[in-house]
Amino acid sequence: MSTFTIPVGPLHVALEEPMYFRFDVQGETVANVDIHAGHVHRGIEYLVTKRNIFQNIVLTERICSLCSNSHPQAYAMAVEQIAGLTVPPRAEYLRVIADEIKRVASNLFNVSVLAHLVGFESLFMHVMEIREMMQDVKESVFGNRMDIGANIIGGVRYDITPENAEYLKAQLDKVEPAIAEVTKIYRTNGSILGRTRGIGVLSREDAINCSVVGPVARASGIEYDVRLKAPYSAYPNLQVPVHTLKDGDVWSRAMIRLAEAATAIGIIRQCLVQLPDGPTACTSERPAIPPGEAIAKCEAPRGELIYYVRITDSPRPERVKWRVPSFMNWDALRFMLKDAKIADIAIIVNSIDPCISCTER
Amino acid sequence: MNFIKTLIQNLVSGPSTVSYPFGPAWTPDNFRGRIDFKLASCTACRACEQVCAPGAIRFDKTPEGLRFMMWHNTCVFCGLCEHYCPTDAIRQTTDWHMAHPVKDEFGMAIRETIVYVNCTGCNAKTLSSAPNPVGVEPPFTPEEIEQQRNLCPACRKKALAERGAVS
Ligand code: SF4
Ligand code: SF4
Repeated sequence: MSTFTIPVGPLHVALEEPMYFRFDVQGETVANVDIHAGHVHRGIEYLVTKRNIFQNIVLTERICSLCSNSHPQAYAMAVEQIAGLTVPPRAEYLRVIADEIKRVASNLFNVSVLAHLVGFESLFMHVMEIREMMQDVKESVFGNRMDIGANIIGGVRYDITPENAEYLKAQLDKVEPAIAEVTKIYRTNGSILGRTRGIGVLSREDAINCSVVGPVARASGIEYDVRLKAPYSAYPNLQVPVHTLKDGDVWSRAMIRLAEAATAIGIIRQCLVQLPDGPTACTSERPAIPPGEAIAKCEAPRGELIYYVRITDSPRPERVKWRVPSFMNWDALRFMLKDAKIADIAIIVNSIDPCISCTER
Repeated sequence: MNFIKTLIQNLVSGPSTVSYPFGPAWTPDNFRGRIDFKLASCTACRACEQVCAPGAIRFDKTPEGLRFMMWHNTCVFCGLCEHYCPTDAIRQTTDWHMAHPVKDEFGMAIRETIVYVNCTGCNAKTLSSAPNPVGVEPPFTPEEIEQQRNLCPACRKKALAERGAVS
């Protein structure tokens, strides 16, 4: 059989993001893959050092649209550590609510794109429509569909009033059964199973060797979730179930994301019940931030997100560095794509939900 | 097949799109849209300028006073200016109808000037900005705000002290 090389990307119909792969294929099977990065470098790490500490809350939110709440949250957590600020309990709960609302929408987005790549357009539309209910929640509670702007340094800048708590609960009551229903479809539908079961397998050993994080790790049987291993915000007071599956294929990763969307709804409900009264930020003005450095991490929808912040006497941070989940996960694509069929490439790449905008920033 | 059921349900419930621009589009009350600025409430503290990440807000000195400038096309609708403004002088409205012809581009801005006046206490040239209400107990009355507006910083302090307020 002849061997030839095919390029996929950086602009490609089936890829959601600009990654560039060079595949050596034998017949229809991938023999070797080269992954090249660097097509959408925006210089945000540099830009961050040109904005002051408070402006960066907004800038970090714009690194990635799907994890847009996790970036400012981790950044704020690091700055709060440096300044020794205590976030009031109500704000901690509000942060969790914001985070989990984003998680539901983000996970639904990823599984809907899977349906799209499988060619099941009506399911794609259906899941996007369920996600739309969460988009409406974001728009009504926070005022924006993607960049919800929940965090500030020292707390949050939105509040859950009794009216929008009612609205939120009503929407969750609609979304929850809808997620249960699509989970059943993903579990039983022949078209989905045929294209995802046993495809793009990442074994537990390979997963450990690649240090993958988030749903990719949990789908390969690694029970790692920052919300449990290093609880932050209000997570220590909440029941956070961790889902794991053993097979490590595309299907398992989709099922993990659906299961996590469902449990995120449970976590939001717990927060609404436990939500304490009190202020939503430690001060209404801009707190003083002394020099220092800190590391903070949180569980973004795609996995562990780590922030490092160093502040000197200047109002601008000297260095902000983040390690995003996709950076850890995309190396594992080499293992997942080994011996894959050409037709499955896009489905496998999508299954790690690669976020190039935050990896290459 | 499960999906047939879902499909039929979706057929029955009808389309979920709206007919905008031919019909109304739903906008929630909390929507973070176009910036609105109330000159009379502005204390000239410039907090909004300092937190605005894209630099949509700028203050500059003119012969008449301190000019507030805000460019709608540069704004990213983050709402930080509203959050840190002590008097709600700057806030976001629910208006998102901001498409405009290119020829109107330079009109998509707010330009207003906080003018200089002579202090009614000491006659020094000063900005007629609103007083900062943070920490003032009991809160300013509307008359007091007008009175403060025409005082220089030193005379404002004196007036506050005479009134027995802590600031
Ligand atoms: S909303 Fe944000 S970007 Fe717009 S003017 Fe205010 S601070 Fe600047
Ligand atoms: S009072 Fe509000 S609008 Fe005026 S300068 Fe301060 S933050 Fe800006």
